[in-house]
Amino acid sequence: MNKNKTKLNLNRRNFLTGTATLAGIAATASVVPITIANANHSEGKKGLPDFISWKDRDALIVHSDKGIETHRSAIGESLVTPNRNIYIRNNMPTMTDAQIGDRKKWKVSIEGVKNPQTFTLAQLQKLGHETMATILQCSGNGRGFFEHKPRGSQWKTGAAACVLWTGVPMKTVVDACGGISGGAVYMTSEGVDHVPTGLDPKKAMIARSVPKKVFKDAMLAWEMNGVPLPNAHGGPLRMVTPGYFGINNVKHLGKVAFTVEQSSVKYMKKSYRISPIGKKGSQYPSCWEMPVKSWITRPTDETGTVKAGKVQIVGVAMGGTKKVRSVKVSVDGGSSWKKAKFIGPNLGKFAWRQFVLETTLSAGSYNIASLASNGADKQPELRMENRRGYAHNGWKDHSVNITVV
Amino acid sequence: MEIKKFLLILTTSLIFNIQISLADDAKMIKGLEIFNETAACAACHILKAAGSEGNIGPNLDTVEGLNYDSVMDIVTHGLGVMPAFGEDEILSKDEIDIVSFYVANSVGK
Repeated sequence: MNKNKTKLNLNRRNFLTGTATLAGIAATASVVPITIANANHSEGKKGLPDFISWKDRDALIVHSDKGIETHRSAIGESLVTPNRNIYIRNNMPTMTDAQIGDRKKWKVSIEGVKNPQTFTLAQLQKLGHETMATILQCSGNGRGFFEHKPRGSQWKTGAAACVLWTGVPMKTVVDACGGISGGAVYMTSEGVDHVPTGLDPKKAMIARSVPKKVFKDAMLAWEMNGVPLPNAHGGPLRMVTPGYFGINNVKHLGKVAFTVEQSSVKYMKKSYRISPIGKKGSQYPSCWEMPVKSWITRPTDETGTVKAGKVQIVGVAMGGTKKVRSVKVSVDGGSSWKKAKFIGPNLGKFAWRQFVLETTLSAGSYNIASLASNGADKQPELRMENRRGYAHNGWKDHSVNITVV
Repeated sequence: MEIKKFLLILTTSLIFNIQISLADDAKMIKGLEIFNETAACAACHILKAAGSEGNIGPNLDTVEGLNYDSVMDIVTHGLGVMPAFGEDEILSKDEIDIVSFYVANSVGK
């Protein structure tokens, strides 16, 4: 077969245009310049794409070059997940240094306030300074457990991280703008990472509306775990919406608006809706608040067989938008439970807590599960079946099987 | 008689195999055309075998567990910014079958 006959002529740069059938893709004129198209994409020497070649390959499971998960045992046993271990899930190509330009001059506009303004990053850094811990978790974390195999990355536990963010509280920014305009119902954050692609903003812009009240907890963050926010994680500026799924923490932030309606872009109206299998539509709930959840991080089938005797069963537990109150651990598949002990510092209700249960195990096979509660809700045994495999917090699927010798 | 029967079966099966092979080759050629031109999958995806270098969606050579069924499913229904080529009738069922066959047999090559 002569592939060359139909191989793409890269100089034509017309493949998004000029074809009537492509009206649905992106009605934009230009195609991605090849220099940009290649910028992030050749395989890194460690099997990671170039734009995240600084990450720890051994800590990561590569589902694709844009879907990279943290191993269950690599999310960080010291509470905060190291940047080089943190998962990657980007709907748009990560912006490059060249596309970002001078980071201090990065602009974000604030609208739906009494005095709308545009701030540079340098101006935001003069306005306020705060650090907080939150959990960044992809809406589809746990999708890999669904039996109907929903489309998308087959995450198990590792599309989640506990992160220290530094930035300016959104409330400080709102105050500087004279307060929120009357009638607003949502806080809508818009990224600009679609701009270099030239794609139709209605289809490609990452814009996410969350209930207005979230602004009281939210932050415009420029630092992640002590370093300037990496481009791959939305640098130089990102919205952080504590307690809300990852998609709402909009990367490469260009605008925050207090709005009466939810954004009309595809990523708000159609995507990230929790609908029954076989159904879809904007009438179904959006991926907003994260539910209470926990999972074991050690021992696991990744950490090898366990020697009989005293065993430390370690994991993480999160309360969603509420403080996590307790975690129970079972070594017999949920027949009996023991209360685990929280350890380490408490970084607030939006961070996860580490827990440990010290127990003695003799030789044999064990199913180890954890069950967290935030007082109001506790983890269900089973997953909530849904079309796209979102928001899984059932304890049974998240349990691990180990062999003690 | 037995030999004749054997030869007949042998000949038939050879012809059949050749036909299958030709059909597959034709599908691969047509699939490449759909990938690069008709559907412009190339605009958004890297696929070395097709010479494509798009950087919107995942590099198809890196997608774990990619196969005919998974490609057909995602091409039909779309995902995120990727259009639903089947649901929105951008491609015909035959075209989706062909491009899915092509991608599934081209990844990593």
